[in-house]
Amino acid sequence: MSFGELGLVALCLYVVAMLAVTEAARRARQDFTPADHFLAGRGLGAFVLFLTLYATAYSGNSLLGYPGEAYRRGFSWIMSTGFMMAIIVAFHLLVPKLRPVAVSRGFLTPGDWLRHRFGGEPWGRAVLAACALLMTWALANFLLAQLVAMGHVTEQVTEGLLPFWVGVVGLAALILFYESLGGMRAVAWTDAAQGILMLAGLAALLGWVLGDSGGLASATRAIAELRPEAVAVPDAREKANWVSTVLLLGLASVVYPQAIQRIYAARSGRSLAHALAWMSFMPLATTTVVFLIGIAAIPRLAGLEGVEADTVMPRLLAEWAGEGPHFAALAALVFVGALAAIMSTADSVLLSLASLVAIDLLGRPASDPETTRVGKRIATGVMVVAVLLALAPRLTLWRLIELKMELLIQCVPAFLIAIHWSRLRAGPTFAGIVAGSALAGGAALLGTKRIEGVHVGVIGLALNAAIALAGSAWAAAQAGRVGSGGVATPSASAR
Amino acid sequence: MIRRALLAGVALLYAASIPWYRDPGSPVEVWLGLPDWVAVALGCYVGAAVLNALAWYRSDVPDREAPPPSGPPGEGP
Repeated sequence: MSFGELGLVALCLYVVAMLAVTEAARRARQDFTPADHFLAGRGLGAFVLFLTLYATAYSGNSLLGYPGEAYRRGFSWIMSTGFMMAIIVAFHLLVPKLRPVAVSRGFLTPGDWLRHRFGGEPWGRAVLAACALLMTWALANFLLAQLVAMGHVTEQVTEGLLPFWVGVVGLAALILFYESLGGMRAVAWTDAAQGILMLAGLAALLGWVLGDSGGLASATRAIAELRPEAVAVPDAREKANWVSTVLLLGLASVVYPQAIQRIYAARSGRSLAHALAWMSFMPLATTTVVFLIGIAAIPRLAGLEGVEADTVMPRLLAEWAGEGPHFAALAALVFVGALAAIMSTADSVLLSLASLVAIDLLGRPASDPETTRVGKRIATGVMVVAVLLALAPRLTLWRLIELKMELLIQCVPAFLIAIHWSRLRAGPTFAGIVAGSALAGGAALLGTKRIEGVHVGVIGLALNAAIALAGSAWAAAQAGRVGSGGVATPSASAR
Repeated sequence: MIRRALLAGVALLYAASIPWYRDPGSPVEVWLGLPDWVAVALGCYVGAAVLNALAWYRSDVPDREAPPPSGPPGEGP
């Protein structure tokens, strides 16, 4: 049996397993309310929550893109472990204060917090609309990237037996199927299964790469001979970029809608805290492993330049598969693990996107079962458009949607500052979002992604936060308010 | 208090993970199979993971809002 045929069998087994999990989730459904569909009835326990957070946070890019980045940049890419862990650290700023408000008031979407916090102010709706648009943009971008990755992985794992378009269309249809049938419960359970698959695949690959390279020390010495700059201490600009990347990824990922909705979906605060405690170790178990795989590829696959470096993972797997049938089976497992990572991110993104559009942008009532049906129709529509775009990735639009974290991070003041500082007002917050987004988006579109190593998104956030803080302080002074801040005071009750 | 101390430890480890203490171009040794500054960064991240996990175990994540205190408006809940 060739590697492609083996990959096809593994892919089929994976699809069957996902369908079985979907059926179990469908049977566990309690009702047709949006809370049951979008948040699994708010009943996710620590273990499932941990695995769904894990599978959602680690996308296809984490497994397929990061080895290429480690190959290109060398050892300074150890920063990837730091920025993935920063997400779990930054959650300390949000979870303990957002969770009790969210549970008490039955929040369903990120917009519910904004309605609660700014709803009674003249600019409250503007803040909600701005954040909902930025989040929708980021999610749509993310979904599209996952669909393209799904096509490539399908093609690679089956050695072309299934072409790119079959991967995109077929797997998109599978996601739509299990999501429509089982909602968040199906997404979380399939994520859990997919998370286990990812871990198994990565452990096997790392064992092979390091064993075959004669150990880490000999790989490092070989890299020092071949590419001394990959081993050298980073310069000032790279160090600034290290800090900036930790801030950008750590803060922007905290306001990802699918992450916020998992805060709402937890069975209890204790389950959530335990899941996040376990998540602290996953960057070491995943990102560091992927980093080491990319590093070990430098002497093995010398001479890859530019975007060619993104093919590091498939090339390594192809080499591995060539060493015998057992290795081919393990390589197929890693490929399916990567596919699982992509699928689990795509399904969570789609579910969040549907709820965000239905409730935050279209204003559908959160308690109406009809909202669930509207959400499913939106998910189908979004998926159809995304599949069409994924099949034509050379569109100009492709360049525009590269902006993601730079824009998403502009929502941070409306969440992280608003939840800690009661005097933050909607007007200055909205002005900050507009200014920060214009700066970050404008600079990125003009081709400037970083200034002296610092991401334009982080610079935009600094401007954004300065406007929000100064404007709110000025408004408070104008109103003659005195006293210290403290915990945020909602300006209106939740819908 | 302990949680705050743990989080302060995480912040310090993050600051120490970036090789500010080394000049670009200075000679690099291999520690634990990695360039010395990478081994230090990885050690910091292992420490940060442990402290952050402990901080989460000590975190109080309530499931209900606290009742609003009786005080001047704008200073609750």
